[in-house]
Amino acid sequence: MIQTMLSLVLRAVVVLVGSALVTFVLLWNAPGDPAMAIAMARFNAVVPAEVVDQVRAEAGLDAGFWPAFKAWIGPLLVGDFGRSSVTGREVWPDLVTAVGYTYPLAFLALFWGLAIALPLAILAASRPGSVLDRVCVAMASTGAAMPAFWLGLLLILLFAVKLAWLPAMGARTASHIVLPALTLALGVAASLTRIIRSGILEARDQNFLPALQRRGVANSAIERDHVAPHAAIPVVTVFGLELAFLLEGLVMVEVIFGRPGLGGFLVNAIDARDFPKVQAVVLLTAIVFVAINFAVDIFYKLLDPRMEDRDA
Amino acid sequence: MRSIGILCAVFVSLALLGPVFAPYDPTAINIPNRLSPPSAQWPLGTDALGRDILSRLLHGASWSLGLAFVVSLIGCVIGTFVGLVAALGGKTTDWALMRATDTFLSFPELVAAVVIAGILGAGTGTLIFALCATSWMRYARVARGIGLSLKSRGYVIQAKLVGLSPIAIARWHYLPALLPSLTVVWTGMLARAILGISALGFLGFGVQPPMPEWGTMLLDARIHMRSTPLQMVWPGLAVAISVLAINLCGDVLRDRISADER
Repeated sequence: MIQTMLSLVLRAVVVLVGSALVTFVLLWNAPGDPAMAIAMARFNAVVPAEVVDQVRAEAGLDAGFWPAFKAWIGPLLVGDFGRSSVTGREVWPDLVTAVGYTYPLAFLALFWGLAIALPLAILAASRPGSVLDRVCVAMASTGAAMPAFWLGLLLILLFAVKLAWLPAMGARTASHIVLPALTLALGVAASLTRIIRSGILEARDQNFLPALQRRGVANSAIERDHVAPHAAIPVVTVFGLELAFLLEGLVMVEVIFGRPGLGGFLVNAIDARDFPKVQAVVLLTAIVFVAINFAVDIFYKLLDPRMEDRDA
Repeated sequence: MRSIGILCAVFVSLALLGPVFAPYDPTAINIPNRLSPPSAQWPLGTDALGRDILSRLLHGASWSLGLAFVVSLIGCVIGTFVGLVAALGGKTTDWALMRATDTFLSFPELVAAVVIAGILGAGTGTLIFALCATSWMRYARVARGIGLSLKSRGYVIQAKLVGLSPIAIARWHYLPALLPSLTVVWTGMLARAILGISALGFLGFGVQPPMPEWGTMLLDARIHMRSTPLQMVWPGLAVAISVLAINLCGDVLRDRISADER
């Protein structure tokens, strides 16, 4: 167990350093003169050449690739995300503010998604092949095929424009979170419903269940002790994937609903060519992602000791 | 099964022949008739520049579906290559390639694609690059897994001992074993590519106007949500139906393949 933990930690470190390198290579190869782009974004006008040179030196862009990479990753290793190349403000506080808008949304979406998916899946699995089951599966398939941003636009159209029940743009009041959270939750529910449903069906198919039944074990006890834990395994497996899906949806949904969260932060930073901000978001997602997958791997081993490495 | 086959045929022919059926030029601007409601003349209405929406949707099929096809195929080739090299190469190669795969997998695909396309500058070329760079990893994992299990099979070792060339072994032993699983992964990735292309188009980082890609059309339509809400429905519907059809095909394929294996 300790050995597998150590190898997982080693892998996580390699992946994080690798992702820092990939990000930096990408930014290094961005077309055009980044110093010029930064200068123009900062002063909002065409700037003279000496100002551009000054910006270049400030951002450490005049050295070669490896010196620049070293200069960049050094502060990152001690958790310093640097300053915005456009506003000159520190990236970290702004990033924290943005995350403050994103994580309640993500949490609420996951919670609502599960709250929709669980009853639907149980209902569908209660009589497999019935009309009810087919309707549930069809709804889930349709939901999974809808682009999150389109679903968001349709919800705005219905609830904000036509019915005027809920606000759509921004994040001023608590009710501003309802529509974006619902958009994401429907997407989460669509994929979870199918996974939980097939998990339950597979769990009911275990060959020792009839034996338990004949020995007089109550159905409720069988469901609780043998079906539910078994059905939970695939849900845990896809949790990492689900989170990726959620993060992707978050970016799009925040842009559509004009929420000042991580998605808007990222897209604005890209538009302004504010590289320190882009780097910060990319690294933060990578760290969160690696951490979640790490937790899933460990949890997975605890849940089902028979399993070998998930992907090795 | 048959109905899904027909559905797929409809989509392939739409992507190939869509422009032939389009009643108008998808980029012809007609300001006097801008934002017209659906009518006999314009079956789905016109957009903010008076362009026929039906024609744009039909032309958009070859952009959205065609590009998705290209992207998923390139990703499949790259990923399979990486996976097989990892499986058949030495231990160090395997370790290095799999950590590279993990690294690329540690970003959510769409977020990474947005960053790549945004940083490198919007356009069709960078769109293809961004989506390929973020989609080869799953093929690599599947190909590596199958490659590892085949490597130690008796008939593969025998073929090697008999002196069959590596290319012949790849052609006659590896390819048939890889194809079913890769096809299933491929259908999933094709659907994701369609979603990715439309998402990037919607953010303005994908196919550029005036080309009628579905995501780009949604971006245009969004501004006129209040006056002509229907304009926003069509492109999204096209994306959703395509993805649904491809996912259903994937499900059927997967069931068939697992039934064969049993």
